[in-house]
Amino acid sequence: MKVLAIRVAIVVALLGAWEIVGRTANPLLYVPPSAAVPALGRLLARDSYPDLAEHLLLTLREILVAYALAIAAGLGCGFALGFNRLVGRAYGPILAALYAVPAVVWYPSLMLFFGLDAASKIAFGFLLGFFPITLAVLAGIRQVSPQMLVVARAFGADGLTAFRKVTLPAMLFTLVGGLRTGLALTVIGVIVGEILGSKSGMGSLINHAYGLFRTADYIALVVVTLVLIVGSDALASAVEHRAQRWTD
Amino acid sequence: MDRLTPRVRVVQVLSVSALLLAWEGVARAGWVDPLFVPAPSAVLRAFGRIGGAALAGLGDTLLKTAIAYVLAVVIGVGGGILLGSVRPLRQAVNPFVIALYGMPKILVLPWIVLFLGFGATPAVVYATIHGVFPILVLVTGAVRDVDRTLVTVARAFGARRWQLYWKVVLPAIVPTVLAGMRLGIVFCLLGVLVVEMFAGVRGMGYVLSSLPTASRRPSCSPPPPSCRRRRSSSCSRWTC
Repeated sequence: MKVLAIRVAIVVALLGAWEIVGRTANPLLYVPPSAAVPALGRLLARDSYPDLAEHLLLTLREILVAYALAIAAGLGCGFALGFNRLVGRAYGPILAALYAVPAVVWYPSLMLFFGLDAASKIAFGFLLGFFPITLAVLAGIRQVSPQMLVVARAFGADGLTAFRKVTLPAMLFTLVGGLRTGLALTVIGVIVGEILGSKSGMGSLINHAYGLFRTADYIALVVVTLVLIVGSDALASAVEHRAQRWTD
Repeated sequence: MDRLTPRVRVVQVLSVSALLLAWEGVARAGWVDPLFVPAPSAVLRAFGRIGGAALAGLGDTLLKTAIAYVLAVVIGVGGGILLGSVRPLRQAVNPFVIALYGMPKILVLPWIVLFLGFGATPAVVYATIHGVFPILVLVTGAVRDVDRTLVTVARAFGARRWQLYWKVVLPAIVPTVLAGMRLGIVFCLLGVLVVEMFAGVRGMGYVLSSLPTASRRPSCSPPPPSCRRRRSSSCSRWTC
């Protein structure tokens, strides 16, 4: 109870400080909360950006397509690498090295290959989401205890049954964690791509508001985008807890 | 393991060269527009042409990354030790730290650029913000989870507060600090590159994002401010 009070106090103090600083300093830049909230209202009333819904839907669609591709490719590559020792030993380190490269360096090339439209954002979101999923599958397969597989074989389980009854439950928790990280990174990839260069989507609206010094609208757009991100992460977190219960 | 290693190497080398060869072949055969997908050999030749500008940009980027990294490590480790050892403070502040850690920082980047302008400052500030959170979160957790028995024993033997930190807590969190520092360097470099791409006037990220634009419309891309001041040969390709 006391902790909650302190947390609320911190939020109130921060908002108050922001309000005071925003009013005394340049209100065009330091938009105080009292100006940001009406801007959010105008945005949601489709006043400042009438086509908000289309942009939001486009961003959502890009995220969904990129995430579906990342899951398919990530699971495929992960299992291919995990079940074949030679291939896994050969490509695992290459994948890990590629994962460590700051992914933004690929973005200009993706923009050249795929153009300024949705395709380059999907490609970038896919690229960011693919690696954590693949590496999670690899780590998960390595976690499965070999004894359990031997026992399953000894009791006459064929390959598919052993996979379904032993491997999958043992690696599920790691796998779901990787899928959640993958979703978060895919969302970030799509939005980064939109902010760095695009004609439609939430990122392009943010860039537009920033470029025209419509800082209050910019903050409202950021809030809407944050709701989208937090919502997707909450969904993934719920799935993760569900999987955790199932494995326990 | 040892017996497998040469075979693994062979597979690695073979597959990378096969990929490069296929790419070269596709580009040579004209199946893709070389303006958008240049052959590896053309990429290799391009090192000679842009090498100087790219190296200068790389130096600039690395310097900003280094500054941001030092700041992120100092703030992250210091803040993590503070948050980890003061329970009420941790309980009050930690949810905010976790929330900020999970939030994509790119959303506040335009604001940072509006406040701090173009140049090195926004890059350093943004990269510090980007890099500090993983370190902070990891170190907070490590300090919180230091073995209670060790702390109790040290207290029982009459350790002072600084001795407790110096002899028990710090050695216990070293692996986590190193893991955090390893994560942090990637995050800092990423932060600097993003800022340079978004609003840079120099640096590797700027070079990276300016070259594709310049290749498409060579006559209209304006020279960056740094080139207007000193007309060096490496800037000539920007001038109209």
